[in-house]
Amino acid sequence: MVTPLQLDPTTVANGVNNVWVLTITFLIFFMQPGFALLESGQVRAKNVGNVLMKNMSDWFLGTLVYFVVGAGVVGVVGGLTSGGGIAGAFAHISDPNAWIGWLFGAVFAMTAATIVSGAVAERMNFDAYVLFTIVMTAIIYPVVVGFTWGGGLLSAGGFIGSALGAGYLDFAGATVVHMCGGIAGLVAAKLVGARKGRYDANGNSQPIPGHSMLLAVLGTFILAFGWYGFNVGTQATVLAVGDDGSLTFMGAALGRVALVTTLGMSAGGAMAMLTSARYQGKPDPLWTANGLLAGLVAVTGAVPHVTWWGGALLGGLGGFLVLPAFRFTVDTLKVDDVCGVFAVHGVAGAVGTALIPIFAVGGFAVNQFALQVVGVAVIALWTVVASAIVLYVIDAAVGLRVTEEEETEGLDEGEHGVSVYPEFVPNERRESTVATDGGELRTDGGERRTDDGAALDDPVGGDTGVNSDE
Amino acid sequence: MSDSADTGIKMVMAYIRPDKLGDVKQALAEAGAPSLTVTNVSGRGSQPAKKGQWRGEEYTVDLHQKVKIECVVADIPAADVVDAIQEGANTGEPGDGKIFTLPVESAHQIRTGTTGPDAV
Repeated sequence: MVTPLQLDPTTVANGVNNVWVLTITFLIFFMQPGFALLESGQVRAKNVGNVLMKNMSDWFLGTLVYFVVGAGVVGVVGGLTSGGGIAGAFAHISDPNAWIGWLFGAVFAMTAATIVSGAVAERMNFDAYVLFTIVMTAIIYPVVVGFTWGGGLLSAGGFIGSALGAGYLDFAGATVVHMCGGIAGLVAAKLVGARKGRYDANGNSQPIPGHSMLLAVLGTFILAFGWYGFNVGTQATVLAVGDDGSLTFMGAALGRVALVTTLGMSAGGAMAMLTSARYQGKPDPLWTANGLLAGLVAVTGAVPHVTWWGGALLGGLGGFLVLPAFRFTVDTLKVDDVCGVFAVHGVAGAVGTALIPIFAVGGFAVNQFALQVVGVAVIALWTVVASAIVLYVIDAAVGLRVTEEEETEGLDEGEHGVSVYPEFVPNERRESTVATDGGELRTDGGERRTDDGAALDDPVGGDTGVNSDE
Repeated sequence: MSDSADTGIKMVMAYIRPDKLGDVKQALAEAGAPSLTVTNVSGRGSQPAKKGQWRGEEYTVDLHQKVKIECVVADIPAADVVDAIQEGANTGEPGDGKIFTLPVESAHQIRTGTTGPDAV
């Protein structure tokens, strides 16, 4: 007997699962303000507007590019590196039923893109950055997704995956998203060069403290909040439909990813706090915040695959490595990675993902471990080579760096003509016959000078009446 | 023109620890000179430099945050104001600050146009 009110279980499951995916997609989008705050806090006040512009452009240019180009490149690369077809690669553009899934993918793409801005802050030409972020979301990141989630090279059906008899494990993108962004950032920071004054004449690093620890830590918490969408949301199936039409709630799967995400970030924060206290003598808020994020990165690929204690160990390892990895980047590689994105996203992502088989719920498998190591290496190599080529081309086209004068003055003024923290702003408009902008009025009573600083023959000191010499 | 000291108006300018501002305000009020202007400033004197840390790199902080107090008096002896600030701001440690007394050439109240000691 069929009753009119009976519900189709597939429809119910699809409805619940898609609403869940949209919800966590919006959570992942909320990582963008987290990155904006985190990076803003770590730069000087004169460059905050530029950091904000980069973070906004990552999002609004990235989404446009990823819809028209990037998501299609995923399908092309996935097909070409697995022997599959590429006919349907761009089908999402005209298929409304594919658009929730596209948006779900897009928020991951924009996370990878926005990581780069933290590495190149305070000296990169804005035009060059915009060009790089377009290529990042059109090609560099989509190729990595094609290799992995797109069913290509490293997946079970891809050329390398099938050769090793396993599929590459990176659940929510510890390497696909974070390591890709972190390494692209490292390459960009290397090629753009260090900030003026970052290294002294002997090549020793000199600190350039950021302007607000508060913004950096607040941004970290917002990122961690969005990260629940990133990790837990990638468990996109909340209700599963059985062959007999029965519905199963995936509570254990959701619970594992939620728990391991939490334990990973906590262990990461704790280890970074201890490491910083050991290294600097006192527990440091910025290191601790970085360690919390590194803990999250380290378990992002592992959350459904590892035991809870394995997740805590991976997160702790990510947090522990932040400080030594950052010092290695700055002191040995001599790369001025402003926000430590290579340490936080690159190193933690690589280590956490490579070690998944060690802590696997299903036990250790040699071929899986081999594939994890190979997969990390392939993604890293692709990212380094592709980023370097793109940056060399951009350098030749528009130049990677702002001028030394502009760097000194600040990119807010030089690139955007704004001041993020203005002082003494006039509160009313008035018609004035007196020049107060330095035109002819000299409040210091000094001599008029030419642009190159040489005194002119006719001193005007005294005209302003402030010269009190007898 | 008369010598500026003839106005009898003095400015007491002091640089104190920010956390002693409440005590100094209290002491000034008790001394009968509650009016003051305060400014956040940075400076250095006898207080030893501190070390700051940024990402594992040490830097020297040799300008300490202080509060600058300006207190202009005519009827109250400047010495009383100095004593009040001294009493309120003293901890006995290097970095307590300094107090300077300056003659004021003229005073002018913006609202009423009053000039001289009455304007103070």
